Amino acid sequence: MLRPAGLWRLLWRPLAPGVPAENLGRREVASGVSLPGGTSPRSLNIFDRDLKRKQKNWAARQPEPMKFDYLREEVRPRAGLRGGAAPRPYFSLALDLGCGRGYIAQHLNKDLSDLVLHHIHYVLKPDGVFIGAMFGGDTLYELRCSLQLAETEREGGFSPHVSPFTAINDLGHLLGRAGFNTLTVDTDEIQVNYPGMFELMEDLQGMGESNCSWNRKALLHRDTMLAAAAVYREMYRNEDGSVPATYQIYYMIGWKYHDSQARPAERGSATVSFGELGKINNLMSQRKKSQ
Amino acid sequence: MSANRAVWGRVRSRLRAFPEHLAACGPEAAAYGRCVQASTAPGGRLSKDLCAREFEALRSCFAAAAKKTPKGGC
Repeated sequence: MLRPAGLWRLLWRPLAPGVPAENLGRREVASGVSLPGGTSPRSLNIFDRDLKRKQKNWAARQPEPMKFDYLREEVRPRAGLRGGAAPRPYFSLALDLGCGRGYIAQHLNKDLSDLVLHHIHYVLKPDGVFIGAMFGGDTLYELRCSLQLAETEREGGFSPHVSPFTAINDLGHLLGRAGFNTLTVDTDEIQVNYPGMFELMEDLQGMGESNCSWNRKALLHRDTMLAAAAVYREMYRNEDGSVPATYQIYYMIGWKYHDSQARPAERGSATVSFGELGKINNLMSQRKKSQ
Repeated sequence: MSANRAVWGRVRSRLRAFPEHLAACGPEAAAYGRCVQASTAPGGRLSKDLCAREFEALRSCFAAAAKKTPKGGC
């Protein structure tokens, strides 16, 4: 079922017409990358990148790394579908970088800094497109809530165990700031059922997705885990006894500027006001007459 | 993880048996879960040890289940 794939690699390959794909995920080794032009936007340092790299490496070394790829397998065609809706006939080259596996539409490292997007934008040819997919704010909310409640009841307080996610508004801003044109961001939810909370956490670890933000607590008490598992099951279980976990995916598409593309008009160049929207039929027929 | 493989291996094997032991304590787990969930209702307040009694029941059931199954494997 799963395509055997090597570890992370850069793929350059010509694509059949009608399949758009210029997509970049990233791996954390890019900490040494220097931007052309010498720009150095200050990126938020939320995540311990060394730890994330170790987690990803560990996950890749496990005996069966591919059995945790089901989420990527699910996201990949969905992102491709969105890209396919774009009206562009032909892409000659596809850059397909992924975290751990060379699929199109990879989960980006959640710490999406300006650096990454600027670099992507720089690499694209004019009229190139960037299609990305990443986890959204509602991802794993069941796990987050269960842990929070259990930790509060057992220990009197709680610390975050699920990483912070980029908000969907910020995504649009980030893409715009990086210079992309004609942005599209939309969201999708994938629900995966697990036998229980422990199996979910085991899978997350297998995907290399364990928590690595700096403010994580070093230790999760066994009692708290037990409590959280009980709460998770009670609050969220399905009819057949399994528990669901929600992965919310944000898909984003951004185009690199090209003359042929539509672009926002200059400020102050409006000839009609929004207030006249109600009379749009008249306006359009007037325009036709005058042409 | 690099320090002591034996300890790490034992800990992980114990963790892997968690779901099994938890499954043996369905009613206790449900009772605890309900108690916590009730505190999330409007007007409720979740404080430390609010459901301590239910949790103790769950914990002792869990420990009993762990003792029953032989600690082997891995």
